Amino acid sequence: MAEIELRNLSKAWDASVAVDGIDLTLADGEFAAILGPSGCGKSTTLFMLSGVYTPTGGEIRFDGAVVNDVEPRDRNVGIVFQSYALYPNMSVLQNILFPLRFKQVDDADKRAREMAELVQITPLLDRRPSQLSGGQQQRVALARALVKRPNLLLLDEPLSNLDATLRLTMRAEIRRIVTELGVTTILVTHDQLEATTMADRVICMNAGRIEQTGSAEDLYLRPDTLFVAGFIGSPPMNLLAVDPSAAGLRLDVDGPVTLGLRPELLRAAETGVPATVSHVEPMGRETLYTAQSELGQVRFLEPTARPNWAFGDMLKLAFDPADTLLFAPDGQRVPDAHATWKDLAHA
Amino acid sequence: MRTTPRTRAVSDTALFLGPAIVLLAIFFVAPILVNIVVAFTDMSQTLDFKDFPTTKQFNKLGKLDDEALLGIELRRSFYKALMLTLVFVVLTLGIFNLTFALILGLTTTALPDRMGAFFRAVWLLPRMSPSVVYALLWLWVVDSTERGLFNQILMAVGFEPMNLRLDHPMAVIVVANGLIGASLGMIIFTSAIRSIPEHLFHAARADGAGPFSIIRHVILPALRWPISYITIYQALALLVSFEYIFLIMGPARSTMTMAMLSYTKTLAPQIGGGQYAYGAAIAMILIVIGILVALAMWRLTNMKALLQRPRIEVR
Amino acid sequence: MTHSTTDWDALAHRARWQRQARTAAITLFLVAVSIPIILPYFWMVMIAFTARTGGAEADTLWTACAVLVPITIGYAVAYQMLSGRARLAAAGLALALAIALLFVFLGDALHVNNFRFLVNPNVVEELRGKATAGAQFPWVWSAFFNSLVLATVQMLIVVAVSTMAAYYLSRFHFMGRAAFLQSLLILQAFPAITLVIPIFLIVYWVGLLNTLTAPILVITTLELPFFIFIMKGFFDAVPWDTEMSALTDGATRRQAFRMVVLPQVTTGMIAIGVFAFIKGWEEYVFVTGLRTGNSYWVMSTYLYYVREDVMGVDYGLVAAVSVMYVLPSLILYLFAQKYLTQMTLGGVKG
Ligand SMILES: Nc1ncnc2c1ncn2[C@@H]1O[C@H](COP(=O)(O)OP(=O)(O)OP(=O)(O)O)[C@@H](O)[C@H]1O
Ligand SMILES: [Mg+2]
Repeated sequence: MAEIELRNLSKAWDASVAVDGIDLTLADGEFAAILGPSGCGKSTTLFMLSGVYTPTGGEIRFDGAVVNDVEPRDRNVGIVFQSYALYPNMSVLQNILFPLRFKQVDDADKRAREMAELVQITPLLDRRPSQLSGGQQQRVALARALVKRPNLLLLDEPLSNLDATLRLTMRAEIRRIVTELGVTTILVTHDQLEATTMADRVICMNAGRIEQTGSAEDLYLRPDTLFVAGFIGSPPMNLLAVDPSAAGLRLDVDGPVTLGLRPELLRAAETGVPATVSHVEPMGRETLYTAQSELGQVRFLEPTARPNWAFGDMLKLAFDPADTLLFAPDGQRVPDAHATWKDLAHA
Repeated sequence: MRTTPRTRAVSDTALFLGPAIVLLAIFFVAPILVNIVVAFTDMSQTLDFKDFPTTKQFNKLGKLDDEALLGIELRRSFYKALMLTLVFVVLTLGIFNLTFALILGLTTTALPDRMGAFFRAVWLLPRMSPSVVYALLWLWVVDSTERGLFNQILMAVGFEPMNLRLDHPMAVIVVANGLIGASLGMIIFTSAIRSIPEHLFHAARADGAGPFSIIRHVILPALRWPISYITIYQALALLVSFEYIFLIMGPARSTMTMAMLSYTKTLAPQIGGGQYAYGAAIAMILIVIGILVALAMWRLTNMKALLQRPRIEVR
Repeated sequence: MTHSTTDWDALAHRARWQRQARTAAITLFLVAVSIPIILPYFWMVMIAFTARTGGAEADTLWTACAVLVPITIGYAVAYQMLSGRARLAAAGLALALAIALLFVFLGDALHVNNFRFLVNPNVVEELRGKATAGAQFPWVWSAFFNSLVLATVQMLIVVAVSTMAAYYLSRFHFMGRAAFLQSLLILQAFPAITLVIPIFLIVYWVGLLNTLTAPILVITTLELPFFIFIMKGFFDAVPWDTEMSALTDGATRRQAFRMVVLPQVTTGMIAIGVFAFIKGWEEYVFVTGLRTGNSYWVMSTYLYYVREDVMGVDYGLVAAVSVMYVLPSLILYLFAQKYLTQMTLGGVKG
């Protein structure tokens, strides 16, 4: 187990910069999730941590020691790939034993079997990877990554190939196993729910940089940047370019800003921003409406049971000024600044 | 003690690439250079030379020179060889290596898989047989007596037996090379046709396209690169091929193409004259053409895929 | 019937009929164009098993055809109509029928006397006295053994060298990699056979004329660019993550190559091995050009000189030698056929 520290870590290829100076410290035994859009440098970061890519700048420290030039085989890192990367020419047991072939381990077989027991694949030990289902392969990959008792466990979108039910069970399983072993873990994912349910801390990346780190709640309620605000949450936050001179709107700041307002925090009311419904998407328990308002196009969620609106209906939308977020033109949130509407009935 | 990455890089290169580099340097690259040098000497049977550099060999090819008798003879045979080569390459390529290969590719892919594979296997048979055996079969087919397979068939339908090797030598070598040559195009075209997405065929059929408009609008566009590739690659292969011609026709003048001329004047068993410089001069013409064509092949290469950068960065 | 006057059944019937007619027409066409290829091979086999000293009996060929063609057609029809086990039964029946009828009609003509060269080292001399162009013919097994050595050693070198080189080119970054690959591409397209004269000179200068080593090295080298690109295609297809995984699991790159990557390209190695063997087995130009034939008989020179010396005297013997010569190639070819389609030519645009 180890404390992991990244200092100004960068990776560039001739044409492109994949990771652009990130700083990050993970406490021993911490479970962090990296969340970000495709191509933002998540895998590249993991590959630098595991040692198969060499950083073009910055430092990687394990327990305070710089490991930039340490060979992958000497770092004692376990990694699970999106495609699992099982060795097709070996049986499940041989796959799990593989990392121990390079260590002086007396009870290799026993350890491998214990690990198989932990991830519940003991009946499959003699099979080939091609004879396993996706979920089973994923457990084998996890066992193989953990059997050498790594300092650091890296999970690169390990659940993306699984169906919805299996994903739910595997989330809980992985969390259980990792907690049991107490290994420092980084999970890469596209899936916010996965990140927020599994990790202690969520790291949001974009274009090779870390936009924000914090608890799931932080990222959801108090996004530091416009990017995080737009990326986290589904349906996404309404982001409206507004002007202080706009009639009816009162802002805590001067100059043009972007107003952020979550769809579930907007509600139909007696007074508020006038709007006309332009699109209706029933989503089961709730219905997502799109409306043209005086502030621009907004989306809002209402319980389906409420009297429903239809295309063309006019209504007023109210919100709590404390729920509004304002972002400066450079994309950073303006702290403690909010917006309100002229005739909102203040709560 | 651990080795440094640099020494490991050197030893890796030596271990993995070394053998290939050494072999290619000695038996592939060096011969190209040696050929160029020898073409400008007067090397013959004794394997040494007095004159260097001299364009004597090329003069022999190009125009009359002072060594009258020999000069005339060689010059004539060279021009004739040039013409024969052209006829041979154009006919074989046009009829078999392209057209017939295309027909085979189209027809065998239109059949159920197993049957198509069977016919492709049949057509690959000549390519897989040893050249001496294949040539022997041809000798039996075109045998001038009544025993020849071709003549048996001719007589069965009421014609006189023929001596094909004497009367139609070009036809013999074109067909003999063509039956082998068609199979490469067949294989390449087949795999190209196979890789056309199934839904294109469905879409075309749903739009009411018949088999011929499917060929014209779906298959042929997908074969553009393979056809260019086969044309260039096979033209080059035919240009320099002499093995089957030699084994079937021997040193007959009627089928003395450039490659044959170069071979028979030098190394052909029993009849090879050991005129190495002269042979090298002809070969050099072929080599120059070869390099130009090889460079042209670059255009057909997917360089990006070929040069794709390795992803693991440690040794 | 208010909505439609379309007769769906008739349309379906027509479509089915058209499809079958097209398949039949294509099959007929392919059979017709394949006959010129199969017939000579068939004739060679017939000569080998029926010819008596003096000449080939054409009658036996046509008798055999008369027996086999109807059976083959019958089997093809049965194959179309039956399925599963019935097909197998039909195949067995057809085979049994063919053998039985061949024995009935050709029983007297069939014999294996032409293969006496397999046990008698002096067949050619006995036929021609001492006046053979090929001078002293060896026992065929000595030529067979030399060919086997040539083909096998050549195959092993080709597989080892091209696998190593292809792995390195596919998986490692090094200075000049792009230039190396591009030069290799030129060599691959280069018509190597034009180099027979300078190769002869180089082999002469290094003193390797009259050896088996020279053709082995030369054939290996000339095929190398082609096979390296084929193997590179196989290595390119091995997922990176298995190799990355092996490295983080503690392997060195060489260990990862041996334990994880190599087992994933065995198909490619078998494929190029088979084709390299077939190439070495048939080699004629370099074996004669580099004067190997002076000291070592191989199958190609053996057959060539048997043909020169006894063609007019004993067709049967020549055909029998051909059958023996062609057999290993054919067996390997049938075995390797399924790999052929998996080989892609060095990075042609798709
Ligand atoms: N070997 C490489 N050579 C050049 N560029 C690369 C290489 N690997 C990745 N990149 C580039 O670096 C950027 C980040 O890639 P990376 O694989 O880290 O993204 P990711 O966040 O994991 O995306 P995804 O969610 O799609 O897996 C991408 O723009 C990619 O094109
Ligand atoms: Mg990724």
